[in-house]
Amino acid sequence: MNKKFIPKITVFHCINAFTENTHSIFVGRNDFEVKFIKLPCSSMVKDIFLLRAFEAGADGVVVLVCPEGQCRYVEGNIRAKKRVAWVKNLLDDIGIDGGRLSLSNIAAGDTAAATQIIDNALKNLAELGQNPAA
Amino acid sequence: MIVAEQKPLSEIKEIIAPYKKILILGCGTCVKTCFAGGEDEVAVLASALRLACKKDGKKIEIEELTIERQCEDEFIRESAPAVSRSEGVLSLACGAGVQALARRFARTPVLPGVNTTFIGVLEKQGVFTEECSGCGNCRLDIFGGICPVTRCAKKLLNGPCGGSQNGKCEINPETDCAWQLIIDRLKALGQMDNLRKYIPPKNWSTSLSGGPRKLVREDHMI
Ligand code: SF4
Ligand code: SF4
Repeated sequence: MNKKFIPKITVFHCINAFTENTHSIFVGRNDFEVKFIKLPCSSMVKDIFLLRAFEAGADGVVVLVCPEGQCRYVEGNIRAKKRVAWVKNLLDDIGIDGGRLSLSNIAAGDTAAATQIIDNALKNLAELGQNPAA
Repeated sequence: MIVAEQKPLSEIKEIIAPYKKILILGCGTCVKTCFAGGEDEVAVLASALRLACKKDGKKIEIEELTIERQCEDEFIRESAPAVSRSEGVLSLACGAGVQALARRFARTPVLPGVNTTFIGVLEKQGVFTEECSGCGNCRLDIFGGICPVTRCAKKLLNGPCGGSQNGKCEINPETDCAWQLIIDRLKALGQMDNLRKYIPPKNWSTSLSGGPRKLVREDHMI
């Protein structure tokens, strides 16, 4: 019998969009494994970091950025959005599906939205399955 | 600078298919500036290929290195130990860099990872435009510093074709009409008289028509 698929999700987040003390909202959940990568600004999500997360075994990667127009460094979240779109195409070319990567805007402290974003990613991964390059 | 664009991943996968141990070699000059083959692009391509091969169940070892310039032997030398460890080198340099490597490393296949596209400039962040065709006989003095050989779709040397509309080329409305730019610039420089000069048909013998060109500087040779 197949072992139950417990997805591994790596969350890259800007420390202004998603504060470290909100990590605890996922504590105690056993339907996924999560790794957090804190960034001073979401503009730091370089393509190579996203790819390396998949190389390190992530089934999905979620990028959390501030709402548009509210980046402390003006355009960091716009840059992040463009890079994520670029890497999604690259994941399609690689053959592991760009749908494994997503970016969401989130207001600081909105834990309900964070839970919703992760639940959506999990729903998506339930369809996509394990990272075939892990 | 030389502007190049990375080949699609599917093509690169085909090119490297016969090899199990490759070196991805970047170049830290032109192709780095146009995001095709610098250190960052080497890292991303290596990661993408590792993921793609793993997904396809293929074993491959990839080494990564970027040298300052692939078109100069002095810099190429630094890559010799890494090249000797690999079955093939995937070069992310322009075509000149690929050939310079091939010349130095007689027994290692050197493969192109980018398409070398044109001589151009960074017009604004993320946009590169072609500016010079390397014709071998530059007349930018007459044209106010704007090259009609390269930037006019019809390579006209004696004024516009007449199809220019609102300053845009009739061949592609996204592109500025080179002759509009030339006239605007000559006006600003007070050099409109340049337009009275007849420019004879271009002598292409200084261009690629006579085969590959060579530049010799005796004073720099020993
Ligand atoms: S005239 Fe020739 S050398 Fe000068 S910019 Fe144009 S193509 Fe280049
Ligand atoms: S519209 Fe201008 S740039 Fe285009 S072909 Fe005519 S003269 Fe050349």
